[in-house]
Amino acid sequence: MTHALKNSWKYILLVVICVVFLFPLAWALVCSVKPEAEILSYPPKWIPEIFTWSNYTTVLARYPYLDWAKNSIITAGLGTLLILLFSSLAAYALGRFEFRGKKLIYSVIVAMLLIPIQAYMIPLYLMCAKMGILNTYASIILPSVANVTSIFILTSFFKGLPKELEEAARIDGCGEFRIFAQIMLPLSKPALSTVTILTFISNWNSFLWPMIAIREDTLKTLPVGIAQFMGSVNSNAQFQYGTALAGCCMAVIPTLIVFLFLQRYFVEGIASTGIKG
Amino acid sequence: MPKGQNFTSPGNGTAAKPRRTKSLNGSQGKIAALFLLPYLLIFTIFRLGPSIAGIYISFCKWDLAGSLSFIGFDNFVRLLKDTNFHISLWNTLLFFVFTLPPLIVFSLLLAILLNQKMRFKNVGRVVSIIPYVLIPAVVGIIWNWMYDNNFGILNYYIKKLGGSSVQWLTSDKMALISVSIVVIWSFIGYNMVLFLAGLQGISRELYEASMIDGANKFQTLMKITLPLLRPITSMVTTLTLINTVQLFDQIFVMTNGGPGTSTLTMVQYLYTSAFQNYEMGYGSAIEVVILIILVLLIKLQNKILKVDEGV
Repeated sequence: MTHALKNSWKYILLVVICVVFLFPLAWALVCSVKPEAEILSYPPKWIPEIFTWSNYTTVLARYPYLDWAKNSIITAGLGTLLILLFSSLAAYALGRFEFRGKKLIYSVIVAMLLIPIQAYMIPLYLMCAKMGILNTYASIILPSVANVTSIFILTSFFKGLPKELEEAARIDGCGEFRIFAQIMLPLSKPALSTVTILTFISNWNSFLWPMIAIREDTLKTLPVGIAQFMGSVNSNAQFQYGTALAGCCMAVIPTLIVFLFLQRYFVEGIASTGIKG
Repeated sequence: MPKGQNFTSPGNGTAAKPRRTKSLNGSQGKIAALFLLPYLLIFTIFRLGPSIAGIYISFCKWDLAGSLSFIGFDNFVRLLKDTNFHISLWNTLLFFVFTLPPLIVFSLLLAILLNQKMRFKNVGRVVSIIPYVLIPAVVGIIWNWMYDNNFGILNYYIKKLGGSSVQWLTSDKMALISVSIVVIWSFIGYNMVLFLAGLQGISRELYEASMIDGANKFQTLMKITLPLLRPITSMVTTLTLINTVQLFDQIFVMTNGGPGTSTLTMVQYLYTSAFQNYEMGYGSAIEVVILIILVLLIKLQNKILKVDEGV
């Protein structure tokens, strides 16, 4: 076998792989700009005969879609910001300070690494009900801030920074918070980027807990709204593939853009922990 | 918690070597507490606390008025007799059995391909992770449309190739396999990243040595690559098991556990018990079973990840 032929093999495989992974999304996009009558015609065509945005306008008119989008942006965004703030502070203490009980605190946190919300959502629900925060943003945001992956990533990052960094600053009489904010945080941009993308995507995609915590239609997040109104499960009389697919496409495009910009950090995040954000 | 250490009182030294008290120690403790406080508060209220409380609630009955009464092991006894719970356990196992081998084989092959010297390999890496970052519930809806019996594009292609159309989600024999395909499609890229990290950690010298010894590519794969990737393979196995135990979103929009109970999973049964029938105590018992399964997994995973080396 010649070298060129051997190589073309690889590229053929690469094309096949790309087709397999992009196919569902591409097909959803194509169908979302067809009128419903054409979606339900046979045989299916990749080029729409009539190109229309009507499915998109229908979604926006018939459902509180913009509310869902706003709720998703606020809960995922604010949740991610709080995770960055609280986790970096805590991880800094765990990674760079010596104090009693550090090992215990760290092992308790890490022990929760693989316990997903599914395994404690009933008590969480009862507690949120007691606190009176069900049906508010807080019930989605606060549980997501108790994030463990971020502690895991940031602690090992802070541990790896050289000691000399802060010693000079300490001699100059800088306070610990100032050392953290002005010396350490700027250095941890890569680790913070990793945490940002992992947690944002996992917050944006989360479905089960927000569905349980929020009853009000206009307070639902995108995945919950779309699934309850456009999934075939609770399909109402108005169920149409076109509008469902349009709703789906609009919901995944933001994550795709964020992912494409920060994919390098995302990959590093997976490789370093092997655990979801 | 690492073995051989007791934390009964903060006063006694841990099994680790006693540290020299630094002059900073006292003040470091106070500063550290300030740094830790906001996170630990949220972590305790919204994660640690509920996890522990759930164990208590699983021994209680929850009536519609919303008060808890202690009933001992009744919930667990009921679980043992509950056919639906048996089915959900069995389905969870089936999902694991159907998704694991393809995930390991495809992810590894993909990692090997994308580890070659070639142009555009980064495109392949990014594209294969895309399914993983899409909203799982949305992925379910998109596949619903592709699986549609009459208008679905998959049956169209199958008929074009001379096959007969498949009842993807409407036959109870097929539904679990159809959902498994979606799960596999979603997770290949994610596991590929893990395998790729493993492949890149294997030193070139080993490969060069085996080339000099006259081993062919297949022998090298069998004798060097696969044995060295064993830790990654066990990690992928554990993570797949955890994902199977958690499986809910896609199923909720695709089959809702049906047809019949053929795709009912543990989390789905838990959701139905707790949030549709309002049997919070019974639901908590299912949670405790999930917790036990996961704790056993964590033991396994800790061996692999060595998270105990922590701080």
